[in-house]
Amino acid sequence: MEAVNLVQRCQAGDVEAFETIYRQHAARIYTLACRMAGSPEDGEDLLQEIFLQAYRKLGSFKGDSALGTWLYRLALNHCLDYVRSRHAKMSKLTDTLDADISYQPIARRDTPIARLDLERALERLPDGCREAFVLHDVEGFDHKEVGNLLGIAEGTSKSQVFKARAKLRALLR
Amino acid sequence: MHPTEIVINDYVDDALAPAERADVDRHVASCAECRALVDDLRELRRAAGSLDLRELPVRAWTRIERAIQLEARHSTQNTQNPPKGSSLRVLRSTSGWTWLAAAAVLVLATAVGLRVLPRAPRTDAPANPPGVAVSIDTAQSVEAELRQAEAHYEKAIKGLEQIANAEQGALDPQTAATLQKNLSVIDQAISESRAALRVEPTSEPAQQSLIDSFKTKMGLLQDTVALINEMRKGNEAGTARIVSGLKPKG
Repeated sequence: MEAVNLVQRCQAGDVEAFETIYRQHAARIYTLACRMAGSPEDGEDLLQEIFLQAYRKLGSFKGDSALGTWLYRLALNHCLDYVRSRHAKMSKLTDTLDADISYQPIARRDTPIARLDLERALERLPDGCREAFVLHDVEGFDHKEVGNLLGIAEGTSKSQVFKARAKLRALLR
Repeated sequence: MHPTEIVINDYVDDALAPAERADVDRHVASCAECRALVDDLRELRRAAGSLDLRELPVRAWTRIERAIQLEARHSTQNTQNPPKGSSLRVLRSTSGWTWLAAAAVLVLATAVGLRVLPRAPRTDAPANPPGVAVSIDTAQSVEAELRQAEAHYEKAIKGLEQIANAEQGALDPQTAATLQKNLSVIDQAISESRAALRVEPTSEPAQQSLIDSFKTKMGLLQDTVALINEMRKGNEAGTARIVSGLKPKG
């Protein structure tokens, strides 16, 4: 169904039209939220907040971009707000990586990385390097974009992503 | 000499200048350790780039729908003449489940508000008096917040339990039994977390475990309320979707 038509129906109060939008886009947004937050529980909370916010802000969707792109941007901004808020509140530092990760080459793994294993390992990454890794290696942003999104320098994005890879490699071997 | 960590990662990301890339090519061809590292990092990038989407939680839409409907009611009650385009038509607003919607939204707000526990002390808190260790203040602050969170969750859970217990006759015996079994498992986890906290009140894993158990219990009770709602609406697809998520635990 045409996105603009769905949006117009939502603005007229048609919740079923909004459910259609939800069914089309929620999985991608939930997946992003889980990975950025580092837990499915927080990801579910974020998903609900994002779609409530989307419902309230649908009036600002003008159809200039695809609805999925508009929703993704809204979701990403919401996840980033959450990440920044949590960074300000919690003292979980990525610097601990330096203490427990050796970057010495190890024996080569013989099997491909299982997706489920990688998802679980992602949840174990410290805040900071997890978000940078998700944005760069999973979502496909370049380091300059990651730096802008997270409010860090491009070089810091690189170092966070590299730290995340080292940690993941250790967790997955 | 091995290339640095940065160079190896840039090599994997195709971010090196041609001359530097050729140097690393030559090194990797003759160094088994660095070749293994490069292979691992490439495999990690491949796996990260091909991760699947996650399956949506079954109750998520029901909670969003209720929150929208409650907001619509507030909007209608608070505005005599709402501006065009901002008033929300409330769908399926049978009076029988208004109170269920209100309870579910209350719980959603509680869960969202408390999810970042434990927190560091507030920066606008008064300075510590001389001689008082910051770590003690921090521990006490976290404990106080945990107690506050516990009280919120217990209140929300109690409200949901009243709804679920009053309406449980509407469920078929097998589903009701599954719900009861799941609740018993979660209650056991809550008891164990509390026992662990009595021994070590500052244990972060025990604190987190207690909060997680509360959230799980709230989620299950919300599923129960959602299930009753869907059954009342005669929505077989919605009912089946929720029941499929009520797998026995433990």
